[in-house]
Amino acid sequence: MTDTVLSDQSIPGQSQGLFRVRQITDNVEARPVPSIATEPKLNPPASRAYFFGLMAPAIALLACISLYPFCWLIYMSLHDVEIGSAVWNNFENFTKLASDSRYLNGWWLLIQYSVMCLALQIGIGVFLAVALNGARFEKILVTTLLMPMMMAPIVAGLVWYFLYNGTFGWYHWLLQSVGILGPKSILASTGTALIGIVIVDVWQWTPLITLITLAGLKRVPQDQLEANMVDGASQVRNFFAITLPNLYPVLVIAVMLRFMDNFRFIDSVLALTGGGPGNATKILPVYLFEVSFKFFKLGRGAAIALTLLVVTIILGMILVRVFDRQQTRKA
Amino acid sequence: MAKVSFRSVWKKYGELAAVKDLNIECADGTFLSILGPSGCGKSSTMRMIAGLEHISAGDILFDDQRINDMAPRDRDVAMVFENYALYPHKTVFENMANPLKLRGQSTDRIRERVNAAANLLEIGQLLRRRPQELSGGQKQRVAIGRAIVREPKLFLFDEPIAHLDAKLRAHMRGEIKHMQRTLGTTMIYVTHDQLEAMSMADLIAVMHDGELQQLGTPREVYNQPVNAWVAGFVGEPAMNFLTCEVQARRDDVLLTHSNFALPLLPQQVQRLNGHAAGPVRMGVRPDGLSITMRKPSEPVITGEIFVNELLGGDMIVDVQLADARIRVKTAPEFEGVPGEACYVTVNREKWHAFDVENGRAFF
Repeated sequence: MTDTVLSDQSIPGQSQGLFRVRQITDNVEARPVPSIATEPKLNPPASRAYFFGLMAPAIALLACISLYPFCWLIYMSLHDVEIGSAVWNNFENFTKLASDSRYLNGWWLLIQYSVMCLALQIGIGVFLAVALNGARFEKILVTTLLMPMMMAPIVAGLVWYFLYNGTFGWYHWLLQSVGILGPKSILASTGTALIGIVIVDVWQWTPLITLITLAGLKRVPQDQLEANMVDGASQVRNFFAITLPNLYPVLVIAVMLRFMDNFRFIDSVLALTGGGPGNATKILPVYLFEVSFKFFKLGRGAAIALTLLVVTIILGMILVRVFDRQQTRKA
Repeated sequence: MAKVSFRSVWKKYGELAAVKDLNIECADGTFLSILGPSGCGKSSTMRMIAGLEHISAGDILFDDQRINDMAPRDRDVAMVFENYALYPHKTVFENMANPLKLRGQSTDRIRERVNAAANLLEIGQLLRRRPQELSGGQKQRVAIGRAIVREPKLFLFDEPIAHLDAKLRAHMRGEIKHMQRTLGTTMIYVTHDQLEAMSMADLIAVMHDGELQQLGTPREVYNQPVNAWVAGFVGEPAMNFLTCEVQARRDDVLLTHSNFALPLLPQQVQRLNGHAAGPVRMGVRPDGLSITMRKPSEPVITGEIFVNELLGGDMIVDVQLADARIRVKTAPEFEGVPGEACYVTVNREKWHAFDVENGRAFF
């Protein structure tokens, strides 16, 4: 190789004799000329078998605890299931649903219930979060606020059941004495029972929304708020123009968590009304519970559960899509 | 457009004083740069002007109108933030239109102003994009665009080009300076980069530890620093400092060091003002020195080359003296090799002497 010219040269002055330095001299002609790159031969990637080997245990576990029961659900939904027997019934479990008024009513009630719960929880939750954010004693106040969430839903249902009680319920007495309620408990009349269970859900789960929103508020970029202020915005406009858009992603997550809970948590409803009076609070999951475990029609129950699952998945996917769009906008 | 005055302005965070007794007068249309290292109080100063921080004591005036208690939106200033602070959910057009929209301008007027600003900044083709689709330089232009769509009394730029790469930064320096001259609006520009302040500003306010050190034109700040701190902060490579002794000898006054003894110029003797003997800190910039390998006839400093750095058009040579090291700026053709003895001549027009105790400049 003659492309670099090196010359050994000892350094004069004080350091002479102590060490020698290789000095590279200037010589443009002697340097290699850059060549045009040709396509290289690629090194082999890591083996696929290795990847699958690493994932196999997790996949096996998931298959046992989730895939296997799911297959059973589908199997059951297509059969008349009795203890020890399952008879194919030509999709009757599904076709009958269309004419099942309690099934359709269950959907209608579930939608009303979910929408009311979500609207109230988001509204109150965000308001509380904004009020608490940066307040004095914020940590203590938030912890206090979280207490309903720590209660088992069935216990919450029982506690409110007694508070609502028409004879000795304290809230009932309170509402009655200010003239809002008649002598009947809020849970006892078909017109108000649904509102009764919505109030319990809002009481128990609004703190979750507050907590998530508070975390979101901490991440609202201060400089955007300041820029908008200098641009000429008032506090209120600043909230709607900067804070709220920055909260959308966390609110989407909150909505997703809460609507899924509404579609499956029935503990408090069972404790409060058991679906009554009449069918006034028989939201679909409560009806599903009844069909499967009271009347023991496991095949029909499986069919109802499957429709509920499909709707939950579709709604969930829509929300995930919305969330993704929010994220890419933010990035 | 406005004149901006600071009257004994303080900013205190609890016990800590971030800005101490600041007095600046900034005439209408001036490009004022507030220069200092991080933590010197320059950003606090800017935020007080914008109304984002409470003014702890003293007054800030726009054209003799006290603005201490005004809300940010009533102060009629436009600010460019260090990290741009663009609204990610809005397009470039909407970002730039925001200040006009908030002030209730008509749609036609908004479109006209935004397009004018976009043309000036050459970002017309980006108006439909969102901030995350832009490069750093483009974001920075949009942030400036948002500031200039209005005709505010005052521009506040908070290190707007600190995050750009070196080449783009040099380009934007020129652009911002040109833009400010074109619009003629008063500008307050905060930076920690002395090169930015030197190259752009009409007036530089050098701050350190919350205190104003020197207020002057770039030339004044560079050539006649009022104290050793300003002298050391402004200029790249930094000024060389050597602790010397003032000694009177016959009709001359000498500045002596273990490596040299050089006479002061007559006007410099006068500026010493009675400090006829004792230690001073001598300061001289690398461009006030010259280096040779052959011993010249005039009085020189002798040393040994420690290392030399070629910067392309210039060369910086570090010279080891008996008890100190100094940096000399020379031509790239300089052929000294580390370890060799060399001779440094001082341009005595360009040297400075500072009080050892309080750092105050004699000359």
